[in-house]
Amino acid sequence: MKKLYSLMAVVLLASMLLSACGATTPTPAATQAPAPATQAPAATSAPATQPAATQASSGTAPDCTQANVFCVGDVTDVGHVDDKSFNQSTWEGVQKAKTDGVVDWAQYIETSDSKDYAKNIDTFAQAGYKVIVTTGFNLTDPTYAAAKQYPNIMFIGVDQGLQKDANHPDWPLPNLVGLVYHEDQSGFLVGALAAMISKSHKVGGVFGTDAVPAVWRYGEGYAAGAAYEDKKNGTTTTVTRVYHNDVGFDKTFTDPDWGATTAQSMIDKGADIIFGGGGITGNGAVDKAAADKVLAIGVDTDQYYTLPEADPYLLTSAMKPIPGPLEDLIKLAKSNKFPTNGLYYGASGYAPYHDTANLVPANVDAEMQALLKGLTDGSIQTGVSAAKPAQ
Amino acid sequence: MDWRRFAIIALIIVVMFGTVVLIGTSQNSPLVIITSMMATTIAVATPLTLGALSGIYCERAGVVNIGIEGMMLGAAFFGWLAAIYMNTIFHYPAMPSLIVGVIAAIITGGLFALLHAVLSITFKVDQIIGGTVINILAAGITGFLNRQLFFGAGSVFHGQIPNAPGVLPTIHIPLLADIPTVGRIFEQQPIAISAILLVIITHFVLFRTRWGLRTRAVGEHPRAADTVGINVIRMRYMNVIIGGFLAGLGGAYFTLEAISSFEANMTNGRGFIALAAMIFGNWTPFGAWTAALVFGAAQALQINLQFFRELIPPQLAVLQNSYVVGLAPYLLTMLILTGIIGKTIPPAADGKVYEK
Repeated sequence: MKKLYSLMAVVLLASMLLSACGATTPTPAATQAPAPATQAPAATSAPATQPAATQASSGTAPDCTQANVFCVGDVTDVGHVDDKSFNQSTWEGVQKAKTDGVVDWAQYIETSDSKDYAKNIDTFAQAGYKVIVTTGFNLTDPTYAAAKQYPNIMFIGVDQGLQKDANHPDWPLPNLVGLVYHEDQSGFLVGALAAMISKSHKVGGVFGTDAVPAVWRYGEGYAAGAAYEDKKNGTTTTVTRVYHNDVGFDKTFTDPDWGATTAQSMIDKGADIIFGGGGITGNGAVDKAAADKVLAIGVDTDQYYTLPEADPYLLTSAMKPIPGPLEDLIKLAKSNKFPTNGLYYGASGYAPYHDTANLVPANVDAEMQALLKGLTDGSIQTGVSAAKPAQ
Repeated sequence: MDWRRFAIIALIIVVMFGTVVLIGTSQNSPLVIITSMMATTIAVATPLTLGALSGIYCERAGVVNIGIEGMMLGAAFFGWLAAIYMNTIFHYPAMPSLIVGVIAAIITGGLFALLHAVLSITFKVDQIIGGTVINILAAGITGFLNRQLFFGAGSVFHGQIPNAPGVLPTIHIPLLADIPTVGRIFEQQPIAISAILLVIITHFVLFRTRWGLRTRAVGEHPRAADTVGINVIRMRYMNVIIGGFLAGLGGAYFTLEAISSFEANMTNGRGFIALAAMIFGNWTPFGAWTAALVFGAAQALQINLQFFRELIPPQLAVLQNSYVVGLAPYLLTMLILTGIIGKTIPPAADGKVYEK
């Protein structure tokens, strides 16, 4: 029996090691390849006094604690830097800053459990990183707390639109900026396009949880944009939105099967354009629509490049490009011109039509450009509130 | 499962569908709504049904298998990987690649099951722990390989996830699929169809064949089975591996039928819901299938109440709250479990190690 238990222990240990590699692997930025299995355990088991990040990349990483070495760390939300969604976009922005020579050393930690946010931020802080980027609304509070704890480190919170309130009395902090977007404008644009292109005048949207304000703004903007064009053209477009509110924050953006099923349900009821707005869950909806030969709209980045299987049916994507504005913020941090008002707005927009360009008549395209201009200069308002009103 | 339980479950599904029909009738015809909800129900129920059948084979033979989640996840990954290798590296057309993918998924499920059998039958390890090992192992292997193969040094894919060969084609069941509107229900993909066929086959195998009788004997009273000359160890091994094949097919649903990509942990606990369906169904194939359909219908209810949110009358305003609606599948599950299904009886020797 004793032998058996040691066998069991070996199998268990081996599997835990493997799952650790799969989940939380800080890796050298230069190669973008996951660290070899033999190095990875340091990432999860190292105590805070021995920062995992520097251990995992020993030999190549410079000493970030020195004043002249400008290191940037990226803490992801639960998920991976290759998620074809916002974690990936953020990491691309950090890498862009590195290839452009702004940053001497860049590294990421992938969060595998939402309880680890603070710990992962702390790992970079202890290692002397000058700028720490945290990805996603869910990291808002841990980032705020860390910014207060480490006043000499600059924090950039992607999708973290804070305001002064009871829980954040000291906002805005001089070393914390939320990189935020007018997602309602991106949603508005693709909603307007959907209303103009749809033949059945039924369009659907599949989203992650609307408790995340950015997701809420996408969804409501989508409906507002369709309504705007309806009013203009005298059409009636039914916009249905389904949010994945029935699971926790850890699953709401990573459930492609649910996204596919929901998209299918909309297509069965006559929808001929599906907007997939919520990480991997939304990707499932876009994939399903394309498989059913129904037009789809991607989200966050130009998903023409991230979901190649959907390309022939990808009408556009509601864009909030992260890499450009993020690099700008990192540059500002380096030159000590970090914004002190706590918020930095990135531009919103919509992606090119690519393979579906022949479906978009010239007058529709002209209208889209006019809408983008109007939204940018403020002459058109989406009328969407910043977050979901309390129910 | 007796007819009264079926009737009650059917009534629940009718009430769920009816509510949505009443709310949405001004926007879609009742037939369209019911058809679409049934299509959603069948889609959601497919992996749950296969997972539950997997559990039935294992537990009817006396081996608890909580590793179905891991078996499905592993099968989803390796099936998808095989299809991609066939398609992009060996340049086979989409259809043969997908078929190879499904076969690879089934074999993967079988191999994970073999590991479970070795641990729990030969080495007599606690079966719950054996299953947990499989769940952790599958999550680890798939997450690790998913990156290493595509983004690792020397990857044949050069750091890019390749274009997958698509999903299994929809089969139009002759005549039935030609009916206007309702025909949609009879346009199904192969794994969804085989799940239903396998329910019937499993029922026949378990209750109408010698194999089934022996399986049940081994799960109820292995010593008695042994004394009449049934090879308990062999029966358990075979049934656990058959269960693994079924879980593997369920895994193939995720990456070869529902969508054409793999995401880390994409089974999202459906293997455990499948086990719940097996228990609600009192370890019978038809019972488990109906339970899976209830889960599917609850999911359809949740999606469709949001779909028709603007049409919900003020008296039912509570249904406009998407969080309340999101609870529906779980509330219904608990109601059915506690109030209606009543007592369920597992196989007597379920989870017990057999020592001669």
